Amino acid sequence: METVTALARLTDLFRDMFGDDTLILTPETTAADVPGWDSMAHIGLMVEAERRFGVTFQTVEMEELTNAGEFATLIARKTGAEARAR
Amino acid sequence: MIFNSYPFLFGFLPVVLAGTFLLARLGARAAQLWLILASLVFYAAWNARYLPLLLGSIVCNHAIAVQMIRTRNVSTRAWLLRFAVAGNLLLLGYYKYTGFFLDTAGAIACLDISWPAIVLPLGISFYTFQQLTLLADIAAGRIETCRFRDFLLFVVFFPHLIAGPIVHHRDMMPQFETADYRMKPENIAVGLVLLTIGLFKKTVLADGLADLVSPLFHAAESGHGLSPAYAWAAAVGFALQMYFDFSGYSDMALGLARMVGLKLPMNFNSPLKARSIVEYWSRWHMSLTRFLTAYVYNPLAMALARRRAAAGQPGLAGPKTTWAAFGAIVALPTLTTMFLSGLWHGAGNQYLLFGLIHGVALTVNHAWRLARPKIWPDTARYQRLAWPAGWALTFLTATVALVWFHAASVAAGWNIVAGMVGLNGVSGPPPVFGEPRTDIVGGPLLQLSVWIGVGLGLALVPPNALELLRSWQPALGMPPAAASRWPAFALTRGWACATAALAVAGVLGLGRVSEFLYWQF
Repeated sequence: METVTALARLTDLFRDMFGDDTLILTPETTAADVPGWDSMAHIGLMVEAERRFGVTFQTVEMEELTNAGEFATLIARKTGAEARAR
Repeated sequence: MIFNSYPFLFGFLPVVLAGTFLLARLGARAAQLWLILASLVFYAAWNARYLPLLLGSIVCNHAIAVQMIRTRNVSTRAWLLRFAVAGNLLLLGYYKYTGFFLDTAGAIACLDISWPAIVLPLGISFYTFQQLTLLADIAAGRIETCRFRDFLLFVVFFPHLIAGPIVHHRDMMPQFETADYRMKPENIAVGLVLLTIGLFKKTVLADGLADLVSPLFHAAESGHGLSPAYAWAAAVGFALQMYFDFSGYSDMALGLARMVGLKLPMNFNSPLKARSIVEYWSRWHMSLTRFLTAYVYNPLAMALARRRAAAGQPGLAGPKTTWAAFGAIVALPTLTTMFLSGLWHGAGNQYLLFGLIHGVALTVNHAWRLARPKIWPDTARYQRLAWPAGWALTFLTATVALVWFHAASVAAGWNIVAGMVGLNGVSGPPPVFGEPRTDIVGGPLLQLSVWIGVGLGLALVPPNALELLRSWQPALGMPPAAASRWPAFALTRGWACATAALAVAGVLGLGRVSEFLYWQF
């Protein structure tokens, strides 16, 4: 999956999660920009992303993410890697 | 040898710096080897008998690390990691918890036996966990090489060896490669300012508070019921002492590392300014918070969240999160993590209570974040109006929890907290301050009040040492700058005089032997 696609689908996920249809994710969006994106919400986001994208994150990867762009890149890399593995 | 001592500041440190700068001319490798040697001498100066234990731990863990990297098999790696975790925790457990469990077992069996005390090797809690993080990340396939020299310096580097900050290999290993160990005026200047501020916090503020706070804790421990004024003075005084002691130590650690060209992670960011307990933990002992979040809380919460997702139960869904999901995915891992944090701090029921208080407070804070928009929907108004209550509640919780951090037992801590709410009645000063006096506002109480006033002012109003030095990047992982009316540190005569005055005061306070509170862990 392309990073751009991953970011667009991630935006949908964030909108559903935070109940805010006006929310827009850019690669530079950080937790500080999204009200409610705290450590607790992050766990929910990761597990929901695992379900929607069909990937599994390592916990060390969660901690390394600093913005939405890195989140999308990680998903893009993982979906690519898992597609190749199949 | 402690940071706040003449031998360290005027003997060890100048020799280490001179050696590093000279050897750096031969190359980074020579400087690194010198820093390793200096760190081992630093450790041995405390008790050379425990040096073989430290080195043994490093050699074994490095051997496992190499083996893990060599075998690319994921399940072999996982088994090696389990073996390493078990081995490290057994070693730590033997030194740290044997006495506690024997005493507890003895108390349950109503036996009055005293066991020979096991001396806790300095820094063992810190160096054990630091090595485990590295092994965990190798098992996760995040690290491809692990040279012994880097591994050794990563663990023993003297600024953080005894009491942190708990450093992460991701921060340190690349620096070892690229750092410029030669003498740089900027590094010396930034390092000296940090060292000076840290020394002042420790020898003037923390030790000054300790002189008045410790007798009150001793009185409570010997069964004297403190009246409300003294109990509050003891609790708030200790909260400030702890902050100045540990953040002062951390400032010194960062300053020492910076002088040789290395940066350590931020460990304190004015925690007493926090307006919620969640925010408090993002500002207090930040390297421990990061460690616990990454290696305990997140794995546990993720596992629980996945299990619920697999069972088709609702998970964390922002404002729509159900209380059942909250209990399973937030409350349970939070309480577990903070309980383990208490246990990590020390073998004693009072530390477990400290951890539980924070676990419950964090859970309540997260629950409030979930419930608040329904109860008080106007977020902007809430943020504008409710922060004083949030600050006061946070300060109170942290202060009360710290009472048990310092008290020798749960009962002694309870004695102080009971005094705070007036259960001990109103009486004169405790006998530790000499003859009972009728004027409870005079004497030591007045002195302590002045100290507390000054301490609170310094902890709550001005920017902290790292914020002052922000433009020189004094620490790793600093949050973005907030708008500030305070002048930043600059290379001017005025700041030089101010730093010199702090240094004189800090050095004059060196007269006594006073270990950092965190060295006991």
